[in-house]
Amino acid sequence: MDVSNILASNTAKYQSITVEKETPLEVDPGLLLVSDLNPIDEESYASNLEEHLQSLARDGVQALLGSLFSLPTQRSDEGPLAQLPPPTTAIPRAKPLPKPKPLTKWEQFAKAKGIQHRTRDKRVWDEERQDWVNRWGRDGKNKQVEEQWITEVPANADVDFDPRKAARDERKARVTKNEKQRLANVSRGQGATNPRKAEIEKTLASSRISTASMGKFDKKLEGEKKMRGVKRKFEPTEKSLEAEKATSLALLSRMDSDAKKVRREGPKEEKVLNERKAVRFASKGRGGVALGRETARGKGKRTKGKR
Amino acid sequence: MLRTIKPKNARSKRALEARQPKEVEDSRTTIFVKGTHTGQLLNNVMRDLMTLKRPDAISFSKKNAIHPFEDATKSTASLEFWAQKNDASMFVIGHSSKKRPHGLTFVRMFDYRVLDMLEVGIENCVSMPEIKTPKSTPGNKPLMHFASDLFDTNPRFTQLKSMLISLFNGEVIDSICLAGLEHVISVSLGPSLPANDESSPLPTVHLRTYTTRLLASGTRTPRVELISMGPSLDMKLRRHTPADAELFKTSHAETQTEEERDLSKLQTRKMKGLNIGVLVLNSHLAQLDAGLLPGEKLEGSGKSRKNFLRSAAS
Repeated sequence: MDVSNILASNTAKYQSITVEKETPLEVDPGLLLVSDLNPIDEESYASNLEEHLQSLARDGVQALLGSLFSLPTQRSDEGPLAQLPPPTTAIPRAKPLPKPKPLTKWEQFAKAKGIQHRTRDKRVWDEERQDWVNRWGRDGKNKQVEEQWITEVPANADVDFDPRKAARDERKARVTKNEKQRLANVSRGQGATNPRKAEIEKTLASSRISTASMGKFDKKLEGEKKMRGVKRKFEPTEKSLEAEKATSLALLSRMDSDAKKVRREGPKEEKVLNERKAVRFASKGRGGVALGRETARGKGKRTKGKR
Repeated sequence: MLRTIKPKNARSKRALEARQPKEVEDSRTTIFVKGTHTGQLLNNVMRDLMTLKRPDAISFSKKNAIHPFEDATKSTASLEFWAQKNDASMFVIGHSSKKRPHGLTFVRMFDYRVLDMLEVGIENCVSMPEIKTPKSTPGNKPLMHFASDLFDTNPRFTQLKSMLISLFNGEVIDSICLAGLEHVISVSLGPSLPANDESSPLPTVHLRTYTTRLLASGTRTPRVELISMGPSLDMKLRRHTPADAELFKTSHAETQTEEERDLSKLQTRKMKGLNIGVLVLNSHLAQLDAGLLPGEKLEGSGKSRKNFLRSAAS
């Protein structure tokens, strides 16, 4: 039996799927792209353009399909899915990279501890009812105590103890706490500063410029930031009488006014005895007149055996 | 500039969120704009390009007085406005004039700003309906083929290549159905003229589209035959604006390093409860030899032996 014919046809088939080029084709399967960097053959270009273009394209596509069909595949309903590698050709993006979302305090902690995020099912198994119930929401598991028709009350509970209210308050407190934490996370994400810290910084700034040289010769701490926008302004030594008068009067009026007092009055001396309180105490809340009347009559309410 | 919208319901919130930048981007939505005058040939070309680009194509069917190269500031403002309004990141503008007949301008945007522009003149066009062959399914991803050394060496052609990839195939995907590889967009050049001559005309660009026919070859890889599908365009490069260096750099920002990508894949697998590809390590600590330790009370330290063991173990 002569099989040379069959073999020859078989080899022809095998050859037809290989592409030989002077410069090997550059294939980027990630973008389904093939680049043929060989210079264009002028002869075939001039003789029959369409045929030349089609054969060029066929060779390129054959090479591309060769690499695509050799990729690892995954089965699907429509046919095999080739798993593509990331592209090697750089293409400009349409929009900038998304900014990383600020982590919440819990996420920071979980990241540091290596805790994996796990999605919680919305439904939980109820042993008593032998059924799946909502974790929260309508007939939620979290509302079970406050919604049941009879509740056990501990023996030492107060008379007005309401177990339903207690359970509800507890749940509501959790909700409030969560909301508070959420808002704190949002404000932290926006880079909001601590108000206390801001206040301290403001005080520090004003104290730093409170010397005659406006802090120029003060001892600098390590890592202390340079003050910005602080300039010492010198008045001219000689100026017109009018101007000097005006400034002095302005200063005086400023010292006089309450709003911007240069030197505040010292704190009021606190009296040792608060008369109003003493009278109230001595008269047992009935007032000074009643106390005067009583002392005049000499007939107060007294404890036995004192006299 | 568009007014900022605060979403009032979940649907509009989702719509706004879909416009936010993504790490792996979708295909570029392209707006096809007609200039003040286009003509039958350009209309055909734009219709065919739109057919290839669908479903990510938006047609502006009315005439617009837009001249991206002549009236830069006004046109740029219009383009940026349209880009924002439609969430589009690419434009194909057709405009025909006596001086520059059948001009097609490709404009690429980055962050709703014009990144670069490229104008080509259509010299010859065989439109899609003129070729009576089966067409590809709309929405299928094309294979792309570029043939010439100039695509690597000449910056004008590098830009053209990048632009066409952005137009037809810029989307990064992680898998593709092999049965769905239906058509090819092939771009080839005329023979390159002697180099280092600035004034010499650039070679003609031939854009051809073919459908593929996969034949059994006896191996896993099929043998491919091509059938012309249309459109077939012959183009000449005209004016262009390269990308601003700084904007270009930002537009090429790296998404993830390879290690990060591997790590995130591993984490998603872990989250799904699959243990494939997860390396489980057990660290072995040698057992403490209690016999060698000092007696009940350690000298000076005041620690009992039990405490010592506990602190050593932790």
